[in-house]
Amino acid sequence: MRPRVSLEAVSSPKTSGATKVTGLMHAPGLDAGIPATPIRVRIARSDPSAQQTFEVERTNPMMVLDLLLAIQRDHDPTIAFRYSCRVALCGTCTVRVNGRPVLACQKAVSDDWEDIRLEPLSGLPVVRDLIVDMTPFFEEWTRIMPYFVPVGGLAGPALIPPDALERRIIDPARACITCAACYAGCGMVGDRRLFLGPAALIRAMVLIADSRDDAGAERLRAVSAGDGVDGCHYMGTCTAVCPKDLDPAGAIRRLRRWRLTARQ
Amino acid sequence: MTSLPVNIEAIDADVAVLGSGGAGLMAVLHMARAGPRLRIALVSKGAVGRSGCTLMVQGYNAALDPKDSLELHFADLLRGGLFLNDQELAWILVSNAPRIIEELEGTVGCFFDRRKDGRISQKPFAGQSFDRKVYRGDLTGLEIMGRLRDQLSRIRPLELGDVRALDLLLDESGGVSGVALLNLRTGAAIVLRARVVIVATGGAATLYRIASTAREKTGDGLAMCYRAGAELRDMEMMQFLSVGLVAAGSRLAGTLLEETLRIAGAHLYNGRGERFMARYDPDQMERAARDLVVRASYAEIMAGRGTPGGGVLIDISHFGAEEVERRFPTLVARTRQIGKDLAREPVEIAPVAHFQIGGVIIGPHGETSIPGLFVAGEDAGGVHGAGWTGGNGIAESTVFGARAGDHAVAVAEGRQMGRPSETLAGEIFQHAFAPLRREHGPLPFGLTNALKNVIWEQVGPVRHAEGLMKAAEQIDRIAEQITRISVPDPAVANYAWQEALDLESQVTVARTMISSALIRQESRGVHFRSDHPQRDDENWLRYVVVREGPDGPATETRPVVLSRLHPDGR
Repeated sequence: MRPRVSLEAVSSPKTSGATKVTGLMHAPGLDAGIPATPIRVRIARSDPSAQQTFEVERTNPMMVLDLLLAIQRDHDPTIAFRYSCRVALCGTCTVRVNGRPVLACQKAVSDDWEDIRLEPLSGLPVVRDLIVDMTPFFEEWTRIMPYFVPVGGLAGPALIPPDALERRIIDPARACITCAACYAGCGMVGDRRLFLGPAALIRAMVLIADSRDDAGAERLRAVSAGDGVDGCHYMGTCTAVCPKDLDPAGAIRRLRRWRLTARQ
Repeated sequence: MTSLPVNIEAIDADVAVLGSGGAGLMAVLHMARAGPRLRIALVSKGAVGRSGCTLMVQGYNAALDPKDSLELHFADLLRGGLFLNDQELAWILVSNAPRIIEELEGTVGCFFDRRKDGRISQKPFAGQSFDRKVYRGDLTGLEIMGRLRDQLSRIRPLELGDVRALDLLLDESGGVSGVALLNLRTGAAIVLRARVVIVATGGAATLYRIASTAREKTGDGLAMCYRAGAELRDMEMMQFLSVGLVAAGSRLAGTLLEETLRIAGAHLYNGRGERFMARYDPDQMERAARDLVVRASYAEIMAGRGTPGGGVLIDISHFGAEEVERRFPTLVARTRQIGKDLAREPVEIAPVAHFQIGGVIIGPHGETSIPGLFVAGEDAGGVHGAGWTGGNGIAESTVFGARAGDHAVAVAEGRQMGRPSETLAGEIFQHAFAPLRREHGPLPFGLTNALKNVIWEQVGPVRHAEGLMKAAEQIDRIAEQITRISVPDPAVANYAWQEALDLESQVTVARTMISSALIRQESRGVHFRSDHPQRDDENWLRYVVVREGPDGPATETRPVVLSRLHPDGR
């Protein structure tokens, strides 16, 4: 059943990715009684003999995840894709839509889309269809010692005011859901494995900034090695594609500055 | 057509943890500390540390403040649970929560929000008579799970991600000897031998048409414990929230707004534009107790007075768009994502299944009646009684996960490595692979929908005997069709196949819920019987126990032991 239509002007730019005018439902043509054209979806399949192109009926609302579920239910039950929380917290539904990494559960199917291409994340081994093996990503993540190492002798939770400098550095950088969009978007990681990657580096920055953690110097050394911050070539795709609005590129710049001050 | 795997891989561990949420990861953390040489296998149906619902948690209740008290938190827990709680378990929760918060900060590295004086900030939370919610913005769950998961890089257990537990394996004496596993990535069958198994897989809220939970929550742990002969309690108790987004057929249906909207002054309307709460609580209206609002909304919908989408409408736009955007930015964004706008218009919501209150009966350390079997977190029963309140579920998972971990070390040292029966393991795999081997039969998707509709209609916020018995029959028919499901190859990363296996767990759990709901002939907390609408403390300060009998679920009731607090305050 379709939800009731609101006839108020919905002017928020966040709705469905297309500019709304007044009173239209999100799938074009429905209010005129003419069915909306299906969206053509091309999916990179592991099995070359599997169906690759699907014509999917639009629904409203519809995320890329809903597209995939519709394909699984109505067209091809063998299509392989991941999801879990569907609220942008687990980071497991990341796929490429027209080449760009997005969370399938958050990316709305735009009315303007007629023909889209879905692929697995680049730079990671493909398990099947849209499912990748995250092992290389987590190997890089592990190399920066991502676990907290407490400063000894603290009695109880550290007293740190909310506007302390470290909170101001850490707070905007902590919502990483390890979705690997940045990793896949970055041109420098992947097959060549010569770069720790943006996710590992922003995690390192958060821990190095944390006054409660005792391993900052060691981590700074780890990220200052050849495959650390020097592996970044300033492309900035990481920050552009992060679905949680983190700024790994900024974190890497900050790590470079800290590396300098540590040496002085 | 896939043939039965000839090779069954073998893995040995001292302790197997099934589930990688708050309970599972705390268990691993504590086991690693108490027994550094222990071989730990961590099994997760989804991605390790990135599946389940701990990620979504909005706060953690702990009596940290000197002006707060354990007694007050305890009283809140029992009041919320309508005194059906196991008081010893409830006391363990409140008395350990502060210590776990300190551990999460000091050892695990969670960085909770602070007050101006630098101390941990605590905010109000529904059902708490003191502001004791510890939080990190609106990403408390992500903070806890992310930092716990990072500890795995230090601890290095054997991580079996994308591996599903099919069944517990018992030895001749009836104790655990391991788990039959399925590697979802490769389609391989695995027998994991272990001295101790900790089950922490989370409940089966996905049984309902609209659920807030992650997709993995299909009751696998509950079902396998039940099949192994464990006792479950309070299976009639399922916590609903009133503010699940209706999003047509989108998988986003069930994502949550906040109950606080109602307290703030939002109005609720049915499909006829009536502020229907006037019929149910004319004094409090939309500020009535959450469970009453759930029932009221549900009643309106079931009576045909809902919206065309099958919900009711919540409207706070009368505050003015700017005010709503300022006070509830996250919620506004969430509604805009589905093409609605909380700041400017009514939004369609419906009652949503959120947390499975009932579960396996445990002792103070998570031990069960089966030697070597521990259960922790949502899979366990008794802590919350007849009603859960926000911030206590995460406390339960982490407190009892830690305790199970602490205790598992000693128990593992005292148990032999099991010798699971190969025949039995073979039968389990044969059964699991059957949908792949059948040439013809229904796909699972229609059956999943049918099951969710039955449970929503007959085992929802309002139940009655006739509807429950009808549900039992309908489930029998669905279960029969499940035995005929056929899914195409390959076995690798085959989620249609996994849905067929999910259905089996869901049906098992559903049957225990129906049986228990039939037995409890009174209304208490989240269990409301329209044919027995009153609460009856005289006869029903008893909890319903269910275990597998020769003809299906066998139920009995046991008295609640009022060891610390009596309903009239003694």
